[in-house]
Amino acid sequence: MFKEIFFLEVKGALRQPMIYIFMFIMALMVFGAVSSDNVIIGGTVGNVHKNAPHIVATYTLILTLLSLLIAAAFFNNAALRDHTNQFNEILFSTPLRKFDYFFGRFFGAWVLSTIPLLGIYIGFVLATTIAPAAGWLDPERLGPIYFNAFVSSYLIFVLPNMFVAGAIIFALANKWKNTIVSFMGALGLIIIYSISGTLLSDIDNQTIGSLLDTFGIRTYFIDTKYFTPIEKNTVIPSLSGLVLWNRLTWIMIGGATISLSYWSFSFKSKNEKVKKLKQNEHDEKSVVKTDLMPRVTQSIDRHSFWNQFNSFFKTSFLSVVKNPTFKILFLFSLVLYIVTLASGFEYYGLKSFPVTYKMVDSINDAAGLFVIIILVFFSGEIIWRDRLHHINEVIDATPHLSISSLLGKVLALVSVVSILHFLLIMLGIGYQAVNGYTHFEFDVYIFSFLLDNLPTYIAWSAVLVFFQVVINQRYIAYFVSILFIFMIDILWAIFDVQSNMVSIGSTPLQMYSDMNGFGDAVMGSIWFNAYWVLLGFVLLAISALLWTRGKVSLMKERLAIASRSLNSGSGYAFFGLLILWLACAGFVYYNTQILNPYTTTDERELLQLEYEQSYKKYEAMPIPKITDVDYTIDIFPTDRRVDAKAAITLVNLSGEEINEIHFTTDKRWNMEISIPNAELTFKDDNDLYRIYTLSEPFMDGENMNIQINSHYHSKGFENAVDNTSIAANGTFINNMDILPTIGYNDRFELDNKNDRRSYGLSPKARMPKLEYPCGKACDINYLTDGRADWVNVHTTISTSADQLAIAPGSLKKEWQKDGRNFYEYELDHPSQNFYSFMSANYEVKRKTWNGIDIEVYYNAAHDDNVEMMLNAVQRSLEYYTENFGPYFHKQARIIEFPRYASFAQAFPGTMPYSEAIGFIADMRDGDGNNIVDAVVAHEMAHQWWAHQEMSAKMQGGTMLTESFSEYSSLMVMKKESTPMKMREFLKYNHERYLRGRSQETDGELPLYKVENQGHIHYGKGSLILYALQDYIGEDSVNAALKEFLEQTRYKGPPYATSMDFLTILEPKVPDSLHYLINDWFKEITLYDYRLKEATYSQREDGKYDINLGVEAYKVVADSMGNETQMTPNEWVYIGLFADEDEEELIMEKKVKFDSDNLSFTLVSNRLPAKAAIDPRRILIERVYDDNIKTISEKAP
Amino acid sequence: MATLKIEGLSKTYPNGVKALDNVSIEIGNGMFGLLGPNGAGKSSLMRTLATLQEADEGSAFLNDIDILNNPEELRKTLGYLPQEFGVYPRITAKQLLDHIAILKGISNKSERKELVDFLLQKVNLFNERNKSVKGFSGGMKQRVGIAQALIGNPQLIIVDEPTAGLDPGERNRFHNLLADVGNEVIVILSTHIVDDVRELCTNMAIMSGGKIVYHGHPQSALDQLKGKVWQCSIDRDQMQEYKANYTVISDKMVTGKPQLHVLSDEKPSAAFNEVAPNLEDVFFTKTQIQQTA
Repeated sequence: MFKEIFFLEVKGALRQPMIYIFMFIMALMVFGAVSSDNVIIGGTVGNVHKNAPHIVATYTLILTLLSLLIAAAFFNNAALRDHTNQFNEILFSTPLRKFDYFFGRFFGAWVLSTIPLLGIYIGFVLATTIAPAAGWLDPERLGPIYFNAFVSSYLIFVLPNMFVAGAIIFALANKWKNTIVSFMGALGLIIIYSISGTLLSDIDNQTIGSLLDTFGIRTYFIDTKYFTPIEKNTVIPSLSGLVLWNRLTWIMIGGATISLSYWSFSFKSKNEKVKKLKQNEHDEKSVVKTDLMPRVTQSIDRHSFWNQFNSFFKTSFLSVVKNPTFKILFLFSLVLYIVTLASGFEYYGLKSFPVTYKMVDSINDAAGLFVIIILVFFSGEIIWRDRLHHINEVIDATPHLSISSLLGKVLALVSVVSILHFLLIMLGIGYQAVNGYTHFEFDVYIFSFLLDNLPTYIAWSAVLVFFQVVINQRYIAYFVSILFIFMIDILWAIFDVQSNMVSIGSTPLQMYSDMNGFGDAVMGSIWFNAYWVLLGFVLLAISALLWTRGKVSLMKERLAIASRSLNSGSGYAFFGLLILWLACAGFVYYNTQILNPYTTTDERELLQLEYEQSYKKYEAMPIPKITDVDYTIDIFPTDRRVDAKAAITLVNLSGEEINEIHFTTDKRWNMEISIPNAELTFKDDNDLYRIYTLSEPFMDGENMNIQINSHYHSKGFENAVDNTSIAANGTFINNMDILPTIGYNDRFELDNKNDRRSYGLSPKARMPKLEYPCGKACDINYLTDGRADWVNVHTTISTSADQLAIAPGSLKKEWQKDGRNFYEYELDHPSQNFYSFMSANYEVKRKTWNGIDIEVYYNAAHDDNVEMMLNAVQRSLEYYTENFGPYFHKQARIIEFPRYASFAQAFPGTMPYSEAIGFIADMRDGDGNNIVDAVVAHEMAHQWWAHQEMSAKMQGGTMLTESFSEYSSLMVMKKESTPMKMREFLKYNHERYLRGRSQETDGELPLYKVENQGHIHYGKGSLILYALQDYIGEDSVNAALKEFLEQTRYKGPPYATSMDFLTILEPKVPDSLHYLINDWFKEITLYDYRLKEATYSQREDGKYDINLGVEAYKVVADSMGNETQMTPNEWVYIGLFADEDEEELIMEKKVKFDSDNLSFTLVSNRLPAKAAIDPRRILIERVYDDNIKTISEKAP
Repeated sequence: MATLKIEGLSKTYPNGVKALDNVSIEIGNGMFGLLGPNGAGKSSLMRTLATLQEADEGSAFLNDIDILNNPEELRKTLGYLPQEFGVYPRITAKQLLDHIAILKGISNKSERKELVDFLLQKVNLFNERNKSVKGFSGGMKQRVGIAQALIGNPQLIIVDEPTAGLDPGERNRFHNLLADVGNEVIVILSTHIVDDVRELCTNMAIMSGGKIVYHGHPQSALDQLKGKVWQCSIDRDQMQEYKANYTVISDKMVTGKPQLHVLSDEKPSAAFNEVAPNLEDVFFTKTQIQQTA
């Protein structure tokens, strides 16, 4: 019988379309993700093949989560079908064995629930065969199909996941006989999943977290997070390590659940609900009975229209909110949001203040998916509700206007999602209150809802209702809706249409910024919103015309009815709306396409291609260098207008005579260039490139003065704010924006390897090769590209009366004129030709240290960490002047800018710092990593490393700037920290490097050849220099840095290389540690240590012998990630912790590791809790957890 | 005095079925019965008159309202109880009637309340008014149905197969309700149950195959058959023989034996007795002869 029940279950579902629809959707998503870069499932792929085993596993895992709802449907159905059809009493009286019935159903549903996921593999196979053939994908981005990756991801992830989820849902369904409860079970699983995510976000708890993960998703990611591209391309997911334990744990939990359920399952339906009859509490006295029908006034007019609309709204609204599916979705989204909030907003283990814009962002994230699900599902529900309940003919035959019904229904949809949204807002406000953040900005919540969400909700509701009405087949309309939602933006991307006018609900609204409010596109957004809302009404008017009343199904009949109504009120309404919408569309089109044309991605690529193909030939031409610039800059913030004039002194140092000066220009800035005795002889159509021919040659060694005026004027509104650096409050532009580049600029070339290949270009080197000794190649540095060395800058800058403008150097003069603020600034020392001009409504806090003004320019709302920043600048100045050399500016400024970008950057004497980081970090508890200090100290260090010493434009260059700065910052931190707190901070640098190298696209390079890659120059570089100062002493490292700086300070070409530094460093490293230069700087070395044994025994003198058994390897990796394991021969710390929490390091000893298996004995006065290899984690290891072990008593 | 005038109404479904075949009829105030077997086209006619279906040809006027081209106008004065009257879940009888009253253009709140209360009393559901309609019995639901059809003083009330599935008690109550309102307006009652018509209607029509095969007063239909209907009881195995030799109107089982009604101008044989014709005989005569003709 088991077999029959099982097959009955399976065959029954195979005859239904649902399973194929889900399978199709899965296949489509995977197909899209593999064959297009516009579809993304769970993060980008990088250099890994798009069909690599790792990608197969990743997609499988992520889609498993999505298919949880499918599982809930199948298992709930299997458990409850006979019950809901009231077939149970017939069935259960047959001689059917409980076992067969129960498990036949369960296993049937289990198999069924995994079938849709087979679509994933179909998607992979189809994409691999079709995409390259159709030219959608470069064949090089695909590897062979690993069928065993399909098999193993199905066996390891899909089957067990559906088993666990199914067991729990099936058990709940059998117990409660209630669909809501079953889906709540599915929700419970999602919660556990999210909690494990919260635990994981603090990376200490990875082991617990990965065992708790119901679906093994994060478990797999942890297991593979340091995989190199080769491993990702070839290693099939296997049942081992954490994954094995996770799977076993959850299969056991699933098995236990289903056994328990079986044991308590009975054919007798004892759970029959006894419905309580609702008592009519107060039965109104019957009014006097009369046989005469009361007189009523009946009219169809404006008044009745509003009544009808209102009544449709009320009934539809109630039908949605009382619907169990809605309740489930509603609870789902609230609970998920609470879980998101509980995990906080972390960065480097540090929470930020829950400022309103963070809450608004998180609310939008949380609401997004659920709103769409609710709108899709319930648009169908309320449109089909009358027909479903067979009351349509009665309603249809009443004299209401169809449009009143549709409007009421759309309003009901918009209302339910708005209510959901407002509840999320309440939760967000509650979270702020709980966290002691009391700067409530209700207006920001409200306006962001009105500007961003409400119009979108209206437009989507109308579109989905339109589909349901016009298609007039509920499930096909669902299908079309889902396809539309998934595909519309992808399709536009494929056709390179980037207008916000074609993406439902899109507007140019910028993210909310505390500095710049809702940004500079509010007006444009209002127009776009009007456009979307009007479109919604037009679609509703069409829907009303085509709305079928009664038994009408043929399109011909519907069109006939519609054309009959065109002459009536609804027809006029339709034409009226259509005209309004077209007018609005025309205005938006005029502003976004004609007044402010924009360049799409493809157009941009073509421009880049044209640029490279046409002008690359000029790259080697001699160019003059800038030596002095005198700026006059007028900023008009509310108009978003900047007028800049620059008087520039050029010098010819090329050793040749120059007859032509070339410029790469930016069309958005209207640039006027005037050169004495020169004539514009070439200018291309796109204003990309200009050539000025000199009437007399510009001789070597001579100077020349030229004038460049450029203007940025905003007009109307744009499709999307193109230039966020000019803002109503928070303008942040640099000299490269204002001025054209002299000569050909290779930074404008296409650089993505795949893009280049698709245009038939050979790959572009990220950086020129390291040369040592170095010739002409070292004459240019990577910041100014040979267009300047050290320049003098003088600026007169003006802005509106309420703002303060800042330019590089000391403030010389300040005055008001014509209701505007004017400032004059001048650099105190020639600097890199790389600086910013800023203007905003700032508060300023100052202090002085040794004659240097330390200033923080900040937004009034962000004063929490300002004092800390001032101190961090001072401590940096103290350490750096003492250890590296003098500071040549008379000021050090930190200047806040809007969060359209989230970085901090060092310009001479000035450090623009995004409002998104640092200013809103919650430092109240004082225990966490001090990221504010770290960033300030890093940027301050750049005043030495990049702004005094500068490296040549070649491999290894950023080691001399970024790694040095990060090292300097660590040193400033270390002064006020403890070794164990430093370990806490350094773990993020370990993480950054190890993760970064696993996503390497071109093969990893050793530190001294770093090609401007963050994970190497920040992550690895800082770790290696930190370890180095630990091994050879802080003084020695600083002495090397100081000596190196003295050789290079403010020096023109040739610029320094990493080899120049290593040459200075080498003599400072003792012979015993000389291997470090090679292992750490010149090769890619990873360590692999394991503490196998840690035992103690008490000695007669009361002290303890601690015996350690160590397994040790050194791993050398080549550029492709191939690793060679070697026997170690190096010095390593071993140490003892007093406590389990590893807070007190009581002993540390440097020992030599010179074989694979080693044993050591340490003597301790007190009994330690734990022993560790490399207890302060200064060496780079992929797995550090196994370095530490709790000490146990030695067996006698 | 209202008049419903239908002329040359035809409708063919996309699958080729001719649901209405040149139907012409004139109906005045009072209860009008529309009889016919399943599939005769009754519901198509009802729906067309209720503005819920398009006709291919012909016209239909209620007084001077052009039903086919100006359905909005008719809806203002129409009460309609469809064959399948379902209700929303999670809504009470009062809420449902209130909603429909609004849709019929009764905007004044207190008038609406008075009307809904009146109708609820009239259909004897006042005490149930705050209960979910979904939980009502078939009869109670039909009463809600007739209550909603009466909202707004309709000139034309169309009830399609209202008594199907009701027990005799419920059916009687329903008939009383209809009879109450049937005098001053046109009530069209479509049914395949002959007794409904006999008990209620002053005028009737019989439909078959999309055509009106009889139109007139029930009594004159009976008069036409007077002296022509003969009855006899036979054995089962004789059925074929009798059907071959006589114009059998109907056969039904009476105490275990088939009892035949046969149409004949003279006494067919000694085994037959003359019986007074009933409406059922009329119905079968009209519809079967139509089909065999």
